[in-house]
Amino acid sequence: MNRRQLLSAAGACCAQALARQVHAQAAGTDYAAPHRFGRPDVATDEGGLWSMMDREERSLRRSPLVLRDEKLVSYVQDICCRLGSEHCPDIRAYVVRTPLFNANMAPNGMMQVWTGLLLRVENEAQLAAVLGHEIGHYLQRHSVERLRDAKSKSALAQVLGAFGAVGALGQLAVAASAFAYGREHEREADRIGAYLMHQAGYDVAESAKVWSNLLQEVKAREGGDPAQTASLFATHPAPPERQADLEQIAKSLPGGSTGDDAFAERTRRFLDDWLQDEVKRGQYAESLVLLTRHIDHGKARELMTYYRGEVHRLRGEAGDQALALADYQAAAASLDPPAAAFRGIGLISRQQGQRSEAVEALTHYLDLAPDAPDAAFIKTYLAELTS
Amino acid sequence: MASVNQRIVRLRLAVFALALLIAIPAAAESRNLAPDFTSLPKGANLVIMPPDVELFSISGGGIPEPRADWTDAANGYIHGALGEKTIELGLNARELSEKDADDLAEINTLHAAVARSIALHHIQGGNLALPTKDHKLDWSLGDAVQPLRERSGADYALFTWIRDSYASSERKVAMFALALLGVGVPGGVQVGYASLVDLHTGRVLWFNRLLRGTGDLREAEPAVETVKVLLAQFPESK
Amino acid sequence: MNKLLCAILILALSACATVKKIESGDNLVGERLSVTLDGAWNRLDFPSIKPAQIWTMEGVTIDEFLIYSGIHDGQVMHPEGPIGGKQRNFAFHSAMQTEEIVSMFEGVLCRDNSTFKLLKLEPYQFGGKKGFRFEYERIRKVDNVQLRGVGFGAVDRGELFAMIYDAPRLTFFPRYQSKVEAIARTAVIKAS
Repeated sequence: MNRRQLLSAAGACCAQALARQVHAQAAGTDYAAPHRFGRPDVATDEGGLWSMMDREERSLRRSPLVLRDEKLVSYVQDICCRLGSEHCPDIRAYVVRTPLFNANMAPNGMMQVWTGLLLRVENEAQLAAVLGHEIGHYLQRHSVERLRDAKSKSALAQVLGAFGAVGALGQLAVAASAFAYGREHEREADRIGAYLMHQAGYDVAESAKVWSNLLQEVKAREGGDPAQTASLFATHPAPPERQADLEQIAKSLPGGSTGDDAFAERTRRFLDDWLQDEVKRGQYAESLVLLTRHIDHGKARELMTYYRGEVHRLRGEAGDQALALADYQAAAASLDPPAAAFRGIGLISRQQGQRSEAVEALTHYLDLAPDAPDAAFIKTYLAELTS
Repeated sequence: MASVNQRIVRLRLAVFALALLIAIPAAAESRNLAPDFTSLPKGANLVIMPPDVELFSISGGGIPEPRADWTDAANGYIHGALGEKTIELGLNARELSEKDADDLAEINTLHAAVARSIALHHIQGGNLALPTKDHKLDWSLGDAVQPLRERSGADYALFTWIRDSYASSERKVAMFALALLGVGVPGGVQVGYASLVDLHTGRVLWFNRLLRGTGDLREAEPAVETVKVLLAQFPESK
Repeated sequence: MNKLLCAILILALSACATVKKIESGDNLVGERLSVTLDGAWNRLDFPSIKPAQIWTMEGVTIDEFLIYSGIHDGQVMHPEGPIGGKQRNFAFHSAMQTEEIVSMFEGVLCRDNSTFKLLKLEPYQFGGKKGFRFEYERIRKVDNVQLRGVGFGAVDRGELFAMIYDAPRLTFFPRYQSKVEAIARTAVIKAS
């Protein structure tokens, strides 16, 4: 984005936004963030949005789906603060238990980070790339513009909405497109995010990887939910383009750290929970791409390998049993084998009629995890196998 | 990264669905009271749960827009009206703080689930009435409410929840134009409930649902009227 | 917002749903599953809820008793309807092992983005057949209610018979658990 584009994007903003100091060099790699925002007047549309988000935040605060682990939340909060610098006191991070790739920052400063995102990124820099992008939307107050733009599309929606339920569907589609961030907003947020990453000492090159990784997963999606896929890519610049843009930006913002170790250390305790949630989505092809990527990357290899075995076993297509068994065996042979890997070996050996292997593995599983939820059930399998 | 839009779209859907409904005429008094319950003791200790209120305007396109100024005003009016009503009834009322409400969130969530079933299966009733309930207001949260009694020191709790939307002038024009074509387009709707719970037994003693196309919470006088309708047939205190 | 959506969608559904009384005593669910009730239940007749029946004591937003009778090989669980949503369909297959059937139910119960945690899986004689019993906890995404649940099931002649009950962990699950366990004990899977 050159200076003119950036200014024209700013031109769409309200008068207050115009007053912001917006500097852009030819490379588009410089950015002067606005000062902290005051609370908008309650009678304005922006004030209304803030208030609605305040109420959303209140219900989020009370939700059992929000992770209360102080160490994890403060870790995410600290990254937001490094990126947001002056705006740190206005950003409140929440980690929400949902197994999808998502982060979202509301105009009132509420930052939601879904556990599916934390499971997917490979290091702190990749997480910072997504958080920085969201902070970029926040700093440019894109959601307010979006709200206003939606109003202008209302006449069309009205016509579509007048003809009963069929119309309602059409109307929803219009509303959905009206409320998505436009491509210009996404590009701007990418650029600002990259700049904030660089300032905070992160390796900007990691931001492009977030998109290539997500693209791999989405490509694998098996007839799941085309609407979700479509809306993600209809409203964002296409990942290849985005990835290329970000790679270009990264070249002008070299250096920085990836934060692999810190990220691995802070998230390790939660991986098992997050992987369980991931597997329960039943989007096996996507999960396989995700898990294989992490295994190749060396992230919590034994656990990822075990869960890849689980995905193969649950999918149960031709050849899956053998793949599952291979993964369970690899996980079981590792230095820190998950107890459930032996359960997996036992279950598959049992199905394949390999009695002694099944008995050995299931017995070992119960030795390692005597209080496992399915212990009583596994004992009946053992009794059958040894009778 | 679309939480805000998703919510707005979903709300949009919700409002549309609501419009498909026909408001049920005001129910008979006994319908709103638990069996064998008639009145509260004079001077009963009542805790008022923070009212959950939100107001929206609906633009010409039918997109609901949260209106914080209206919501703030409505909150003030509702607090005032609830306070006056409890004084009028001779009850010893206090409000639960937001902090306490944070700590007791699970009770509030449970009550909301119960309230929705009462609204659906009892107040709405009809072919959705639960035969085992025998047309009685017979729901109890049981001992789940004990922490609320301990924290508040009250014997009874009042829960209120209201969503209200108003058509903007541009929408009214569109509504008029479409009405000429014989197409009915709903304007604003008021939906909500109030519920009185015995904190010793957990029983829902009294329940009322609000579902109508009239009423206004943005101004003091009609807001008082809305609270009056919501608390119509609230049990006497003797 | 969630509450409004939930309430309204349920209200909108009400146009095509009715509630019927399931009387105390012997009841046949589907063609081959019989249960004996000590006290009446309410059955919600949603056109889209097949292949399950939904029963409730307190109302759909509180407790849910799902009864599956004679699910055949390849049949999709809740292809549409209130439990469905946009996500993946889960199908029953006759060759499934118990742990796979439980995983299928996990998937079904998570389709609305609710969470699921298995607390116990044990052998159980269901309907006179060698079956299983499981317990779980769940957070219902749409309204944040924390639920406890119990399920029972068995496969007979390649068909699945199962019942799952869940309700808020506060008050309601404890209130009805013993009633549900008693019903499960009366289940009989008939030969024809």
